[in-house]
Order: sequence, then C-alpha cells, then structure tokens
Amino acid sequence: MSSSVISVISRFLEEYRSSTSTRLKVVDAYLLYILLTGALQFLYCLLVGTFPFNSFLSGFISCVGSFILAVCLRIQINPQNKGEFLSISPERAFADFLFAHTVLHLVVINFVG
Amino acid sequence: MALLRLVSLLVFMLALGAQALTPSHHLSPSDVDRLQAILSQPFTDLKSAYFSIVGLSKLGLSVADANGACSFIKANVDSSSVESLFYAAEASQALASCEIHVSNETRDLLHAAVSEDSTVSQIHQAVSALSSFGLPLASQEVVSALKARISKEDNVLAITLALQTASRLSQQAELGEILEEIEDLAARLDDLGGVYLQFEEGLEATALFVSAAYALSDHVDVEPPLKEDQVIQLVNSIFSKKSWDSLSEIFSVASAAAAFSNNRFHKPVIVSALGPATVSHSQPLLQLQVTDVLCQPLSSADVVVESASSVASKAAILSKTPFTLRDGIFELNFMASKPASGYYQFSVAVKGDSRLVANHVELKVKVSTKVAINNMDLSVVDKDQSIGTKTTRVEYPSKSKASFVADSHQNFAMTFQLVDETTGVELTPHQTFVRLHNQKTGQEVVFVAEPDSKNLYKFELDTAERKTEFDSMSGTYALYLMVGDATLENPVLWNVADLVLKFLEEEAPSTIQSKNLYVPKPEIQHLFREPEKRPPTVLSNTFTALILSPLLLLLILWFKLGANISNFSLSPSSLLFHIGHAAMLGLMYVYWTHLDMFQTLKYLAIIGSLTFLAGNRMLAQKAVKRIAAEQSSRLAKYRSLR
Repeated sequence: MSSSVISVISRFLEEYRSSTSTRLKVVDAYLLYILLTGALQFLYCLLVGTFPFNSFLSGFISCVGSFILAVCLRIQINPQNKGEFLSISPERAFADFLFAHTVLHLVVINFVG
Repeated sequence: MALLRLVSLLVFMLALGAQALTPSHHLSPSDVDRLQAILSQPFTDLKSAYFSIVGLSKLGLSVADANGACSFIKANVDSSSVESLFYAAEASQALASCEIHVSNETRDLLHAAVSEDSTVSQIHQAVSALSSFGLPLASQEVVSALKARISKEDNVLAITLALQTASRLSQQAELGEILEEIEDLAARLDDLGGVYLQFEEGLEATALFVSAAYALSDHVDVEPPLKEDQVIQLVNSIFSKKSWDSLSEIFSVASAAAAFSNNRFHKPVIVSALGPATVSHSQPLLQLQVTDVLCQPLSSADVVVESASSVASKAAILSKTPFTLRDGIFELNFMASKPASGYYQFSVAVKGDSRLVANHVELKVKVSTKVAINNMDLSVVDKDQSIGTKTTRVEYPSKSKASFVADSHQNFAMTFQLVDETTGVELTPHQTFVRLHNQKTGQEVVFVAEPDSKNLYKFELDTAERKTEFDSMSGTYALYLMVGDATLENPVLWNVADLVLKFLEEEAPSTIQSKNLYVPKPEIQHLFREPEKRPPTVLSNTFTALILSPLLLLLILWFKLGANISNFSLSPSSLLFHIGHAAMLGLMYVYWTHLDMFQTLKYLAIIGSLTFLAGNRMLAQKAVKRIAAEQSSRLAKYRSLR
C-alpha cells in the first residue's frame, strides 16, 4: 500500500519536473512560499493565543488571499487552458493579479492595526 | 308611576346639587385693599384718571381729593378727541360735583362719531360721553350703527363694547339683537378643566365681558343666559390673578367684581371658615365668613346647616340648624351638640336672596379634644405563670419611683386606657407608641401599643424574643409613652418609668456600632483595565525570523529555476511601471504607520493611475512581442513541415 503511494508521488514529481514550463514553476515556488508563511502564522497563533486577533486575521487572510490570486494567475497563464480563457491574455491576467493584490493589501493594512 | 318620577327627579336634583361648583378662587380682603390702593395712586394722564376714578366708584369708594381730580380732568381734556372726551365725561360723572362745560362743536363732534364708518370703540366712547354729559342722543341710530359694525368687526372686544354701549341707550330702542350677542359671546368662552371659563384674549377681555353683559341685562331686565356653573367658572378665572399688570386690567377686574356684587340676577356667594375649621371645648364656635365677591358680608342672608354627619360613622349630628350673625361673622356652637372627636362633613346652605349662586357649600370640620390617660398599670410577669408578680399604677404625668427589672425569663407588660378628657369616651388615636431609650448608648427602640376589643391598650415586651432589636445590650432604658393624633389638642410624651433589661451576657456585642448612615464610606480605588498578557519577546522575535525564512526559500527556488531579469526592457513605461508599483507598496507601509484610509485612497488614486497607464503600455508592448514571437515560431514550424 505505502509503496504504491510512494510510487504515485515519485511519478507525479517526475511528470511535474518534465512537463511544467519554467514560468509555471516560478509561480509554483511563489505559491509554496505563501503557503509556508501562512502555516507559520497559524502555528504562532496556536502557540501564543489570539491576543491581537485583528493582526492575526489580517496576516492570515493576506496569505490566503495571495495564494488564491496566485492560483488564479497560474490557471490563466497556463497555455493548456488557453481554450477556456480566450479573451484573457497572459498580460491581462497579470494586470488583474496586480490590481486584485492592491485591493487586498489595502484591506489587510487597514485591518492589521 | 308618579311616585317613581318624583323619586327620580329628586335623585337627579340631588346629584346635580352634589356636583355644583363653588368658587375656588376669590378676592380676599387684602386683595381688595390692594386693588383700592393701586386705584388710589396719583394720576399721570387723563386715561389713568378715568381708570382710577371710575374704578374706585365701582368699588363703592371715592377719590381722596375730588376737587383736585375735577380740576385735573378739566385741565387735561382735549375737546377735539372723542377718546379724551369719553374719559373726561365718565370720570366727571363718577365724581360727586364736577361739571364739564360742553360746547356745540364738541356735541356735534360726538354726534358725528356715531355712524357706520366709525369703529365700535369710537361709537362706544361717543355714546358714553353723550350720556354722561347728559346730552340727548338718537338711540335707534346708534343701534343700527352698532349692528352694522358688529357684522364687520367680529372680535370679542368689539362685541363687548357694543354691549356696554347698548346699556347706555334708551330702553325703548330695539336692543333685542344686541342682547342675543351675549349668548353668542358666552359660547366663545373656553372651558379650562371645568374650573375656569375665559376668553383666549385673556383676563381683561373676560372681565370686561362680564361687566358689559350684566350692565346690559340689568338695563333691559332680562336674565343673562349664563348658567350657575358658568358664573362660578367666570369668578374663578377673573379672580385667580392676584397681581395685575396694568391699570386697565385692574379697572376691568374692579368692574367685574362690582358687576358680580350687585346685579339683578346672579350673586356669587363666597363661604369660608374663619381660620381653620376646628372646634373644641375651648373654642366651641364654628365661624363662617359669608361674603360676596368684594368681601362684603351678606348680612341679610340666612345661613343654615342642611346636614352635618361624621365622616367615620356617617351618623348625622345636625340637621337644618341656623347660624347666628354676629359682627358680620356667622357662628354656630357646634360643641353644644356634644360631638365625639373626629371629622365631620357639613353641608351649608345660604338662603335669603333668589340671586345667590353657589350657595350650597360642603365643609369639613374637625372636632378636637384633649386626651387623658387612665389606669396606667405596669407589671413584670414571669413567663411560667401568667399572673403578674406586682402591678404598679402610675398617674400621668408623674414617673414611677421604682424601676422595673426584667430578664430573659420575664415579660414586661403595660396596660392603659385613653379617654376623652371631658366626656370620658374611649379614644383610639392614630399614634400610640412606646419608646425605650438607653441613655448610655443612645439606642432607641419604638414599639406600637395596640388596643383590644374593649379599647384597652396593651403592650407586652418579651425580653428574650426582642433581644435583637436591643442588640442584647443590657442596661437601664427609659420608657416613654407617645400619643398623637390630628384631632388631639394635647399630644403626649410621657416618661412613665425606667426599665432595667438583662440579656444573657454572651450574646452582647463588644461595642455597639452606631447605625450611623452618614459617615464616609471606604474609598473605592479605580482599577484600570489590565493590558492583555503578551507572549515573551524571545518567542515573538523567533517567529518573526521564522516567518521571513520562506522568503529566503523562495529566492533560492527562483534562482534554481533560472528566473532572471535579463528580458528587462528599459523602456520608460516599464521603468515608470516598476517605480509606481514600488511606490504603491511603499504607500501601504506609510498607510500602516501614519495615514488614514482617506489620505491613502487619495495617494493611491494618483500613483495607481500612473502605474496603470505605464503598466498598460508595458504589457501591451510585451503582448505585441509575444504575439510576434508566436507567429514567427508558427511560421518556422510551418516552413519546416513543408
């Protein structure tokens, strides 16, 4: 059982390394970074309690929001999905990404206190 | 059937009589004196002379210096003004012997004023002046002029002046229509709470209306259409104000008072007790003042007690007993009927004149008496036996020589009787208290003594049961008896005896906390809100470093993936875009530290629009490059396939 899981994972990683374009890998690295940051924030909150609850919330939601926006960007610039996003060029996707991030950062900074 | 009708009529009349109003506001003798004093002040001009002289004459008084007043009038009259002639005429008429010479021009002026083109006020002044000067006037002309003017000037004051004018005309003139105006005006009066009846124009208008209405009614000998309750309400309104604003107001009040005192139809009666309505053996006479509105006693009236009954027992004491008149006061010796002490409801009727209004009055009379304490017996009773060991009798007001000792096995008992001093009837006053006062500690305990069915008062002190009230403090207590009631003339505070109480020692508190409510209380320290517990700084710093570590990981990964900025085109739009974007991130930091939302939005709008324009340009260029690259690669593939 465990061996099949390991083999699936290693197969997946191999496929990933070979068939994903560099551009997407850059975005994936960014996603990993965001994930780790969010997880560490959550761990800290579990350890010391939620005293400045607004600060914790704003930091955590910033991570979550950034992750979601980056996922959207990745989906939209993936050439394999071109059929579903005919009207949205990669440049347009990036511009949307930047605009949404501006709004997110505005809200987060407002809330962090 | 006839009997039933009679009974119902009787009940109806009784009910009506029971609800009849009596004046709640009236002039007192000092008010009348004040009226007179103000009216006697020296005159400043002809108008004030008119008010003073005519006002005083209405009150039945005369001016101090009649000759001086007459010369004043003659000196100040202005023969070319109708108003001035009116004041002069009326004032000189009120003085005993003051003749003003009237020239033909003056007479013609006054006659000319009586027409449909003058105001009601001018017609009133002209007619009054002509009448007071003794000059002839054409009454029918006046009537038609007044009727024409009333339909044009429909206000209260104008119609009142019209009524006043009509009362100076000949009785043969057709005054019927003007007489009807009284009823119309009366309908315009405002009923305030069933107590007052007045015009919204105020006191002066109401008072002038009253004097004009009665003047006209007396002149034509027709009763004015005012009901008894309305008359009393008018009395309340006019005489409720005891300090007046102006001489004209005082004049109107004096006129109204004179009208109420002697007109042919309605005479309001004011019945009040002289001093408090209390009788006792030392003061057995119930004295009533029965006056008209000007505080003149009605000497010709018969004042009769219709019924007097006790409030408590509803037993009738008197019926149809007359008062006797002495020096203007009506008196009745109520104590002669030997009433028991308490309150009595008197129903008094004033008869003798068919004009009297509000002549049924209800009075509450108090009969007070002196109390005597009989058979005061004190004893100390053992709890095991019910027979007292020793009974001591104490006579009021002396104090018992021996003091009484009671400990927790004994009860202290006290019995006494309260009787009326003169009649010997037993009394049950409202307050019968037994007070025990410890002189050393200042403690005071008060108990109530209750009467039994035979009106014998008993007080028992169970020492063991009541120890909490005494805080178990043994010692000598002075025993007082307190008797009081509204109908007692001699309330009693009697130190009867000294009582030594012995409580069990172990229950006594060491010190007596005086039940003092008014000492400063302990100060309350304000507790400020404690700041929340923060985690130790080491932990926070560790985690800050930890959070930044994924960033390091990201840079390493990007480097490994080969991300680079080699494709960076140094076009102005891309430079501007990157600078603008960096500025936006910097603005976020500044927002966190210094700014508020509105300022941030302002700066963001500026920087954001610049960045947007630059970015749009840059991305468009990139898109063009990408499409060109794609096309060239497709072309190359196409060529290679061929």
